[in-house]
Amino acid sequence: MSETLTFTDIEADICYVARRVEEDKLYFVQMAGPPLMAVLMAKRMRAPNIGYVVEEGAVAPSPTFPLWRMMLGASRSHYRAVQWTGMNTVDFHAALGYMDYGVLAAIQIDKYGNLNSTMLGDSYEKPERRFGGPGGGNEIASQCWRTVVMTRLEKRKFVEKVDFMSSPGYLDGTPGARERAGMPAGTGPYLIVTERALFGFDEKTHMMRLQAVAPWISVEEVLARMDFKPLIAEPLEELLPPSEEELAVLRAEIDPSGFTLSRGEWITVERDDSGAMHLLSAGGTGAGA
Amino acid sequence: MKVLASGTGEFQIPDPDGLRAYVREHKERRLVTKVMTEQEAVKRLVQDGDYVAYDQNVANRGPASLFREIIRQRKKDLWLCAKFNWSDVSLLAAAGCVSKVDVGWMETGPAIQRALKKGQIKLIEWTNGALSYRLLAGAMGVPFLPMRYMGGTDSFARSAAKLIEDPYLEKPICVVPALNPDVGIIHVHQCDMYGNARVFGAGVAPAEIAMASKKVIISTEEIIENEAIRRQPQRTTIPYYFVDAVVLAPFGTYPGGVPGLYGSDVQHVLEYAAAQIQDKMDEYLEKWVHSVASHEEMLEQRVGVKKLLQLRQDESIREGYYE
Repeated sequence: MSETLTFTDIEADICYVARRVEEDKLYFVQMAGPPLMAVLMAKRMRAPNIGYVVEEGAVAPSPTFPLWRMMLGASRSHYRAVQWTGMNTVDFHAALGYMDYGVLAAIQIDKYGNLNSTMLGDSYEKPERRFGGPGGGNEIASQCWRTVVMTRLEKRKFVEKVDFMSSPGYLDGTPGARERAGMPAGTGPYLIVTERALFGFDEKTHMMRLQAVAPWISVEEVLARMDFKPLIAEPLEELLPPSEEELAVLRAEIDPSGFTLSRGEWITVERDDSGAMHLLSAGGTGAGA
Repeated sequence: MKVLASGTGEFQIPDPDGLRAYVREHKERRLVTKVMTEQEAVKRLVQDGDYVAYDQNVANRGPASLFREIIRQRKKDLWLCAKFNWSDVSLLAAAGCVSKVDVGWMETGPAIQRALKKGQIKLIEWTNGALSYRLLAGAMGVPFLPMRYMGGTDSFARSAAKLIEDPYLEKPICVVPALNPDVGIIHVHQCDMYGNARVFGAGVAPAEIAMASKKVIISTEEIIENEAIRRQPQRTTIPYYFVDAVVLAPFGTYPGGVPGLYGSDVQHVLEYAAAQIQDKMDEYLEKWVHSVASHEEMLEQRVGVKKLLQLRQDESIREGYYE
């Protein structure tokens, strides 16, 4: 008997990241939205003691579930931390090498993992659309050992060259480019997470490399949603969709208001009798946003 | 020293000796009361053209009552330090108070998009951390500090950071100029009449701003006895001699919240968003700023006791702040 499953791209991203969160590592998390939700999802489901910092200076908070909306940098997101300090202090923790992973969102990314969260358009002076800026993204992407980026797989987001490089990936991709720009060695983008595929980076060329693909989409379809051609890992991993249990926790306890999750692209997949998965529909209010 | 690359962004040249001379000449060393009204504080301490920094964490602890007083007094040509902002830049820009913004992160709704299209405001690119770090350099009395980020990006290229060869290790390192704002504005949980101020919770950079700024205005939820400060000196975030004015402002961050005390007003946030989207910022400013004489009058006539009590109830967590 076939069964169907419906989820948003944001829900998929959060599940993919949450599954990979390691309890013996420290995380520097962008303060709100999918990055924070992903780490909290891992904390709720299987890594209750996960340590993370947020940029305004809360160290290892332990919010209670279900989470509240409007918990941006407020008492609810800082609840039961081990320390309340300031922005400079947690940036020092990252500079010292304590932060294993940084988790970020971005509006545009290029083949070397450089990130844009500042503006879209050909001209900086006359942007088509101005965004908020890097926030704490630059310090996170520069100083954490490994950067995880959450975004949506779209041609206008995966571009040859970002319109504005707000936060660094591997810059021009040449060996030592980050060190030549003053960043600590051995750091850089590690995993790019989208609803349809995951990407890593080739260690020598620093080119983005397709690493895992959802079972309801082909490699060709993934590539058709990108403005450049990434390297392709051999073999490719399979990217299992969110489970019903994951979705239940996510919707009831991580974002009960649905404020963040429901903004995404709605994806419905079917699992047929043979176990193969097919895409039934994708789209929705957030798809073009 | 070898400079490898320079950002082209406009910045105020650091002047640690100038600041020292100003401090020697102008800053009050005595324990004297600094309590004054919001009108007096803004009139005396905020001048047209000033560089203004404030501490804020999105919707938390922003000095909103003083922003509204700055708008009421029609201050002009301000240069804002927008680290970790919310709607304050769009509000002050829509009111015509701002000409330049150092951007870490800010809300960029229709009011900002319009101000940018009309060329009303100029942006200089930084990051939240870089601005906090520049304030730290300012707070240390040094002209610049090295750091391990920003290099190689467009944020760097549009900032005033430089990439230099480290004189010790001979490796590239990014340096940023100290930031010493003309005015620092900080909203706190508690403060005594002299300016000894307490911020509870994760605070972004309140102490850095107070130490780096030439003039400092504290707005506070309550004024407490100096005796209470002396009983628990470890809770003091900012000591008195940095502070020029203490303004009593309960619910001073409205429509934002103060952790441990009251929540932010979601309804008001939506009203503000609607005003931006419908291009009705003038009406919004008339209702919430110009048609009332003070913060107290706004709370009385526009917000009301019922809403204020509700916001207090919304903030259920006291642990760690007051307990």
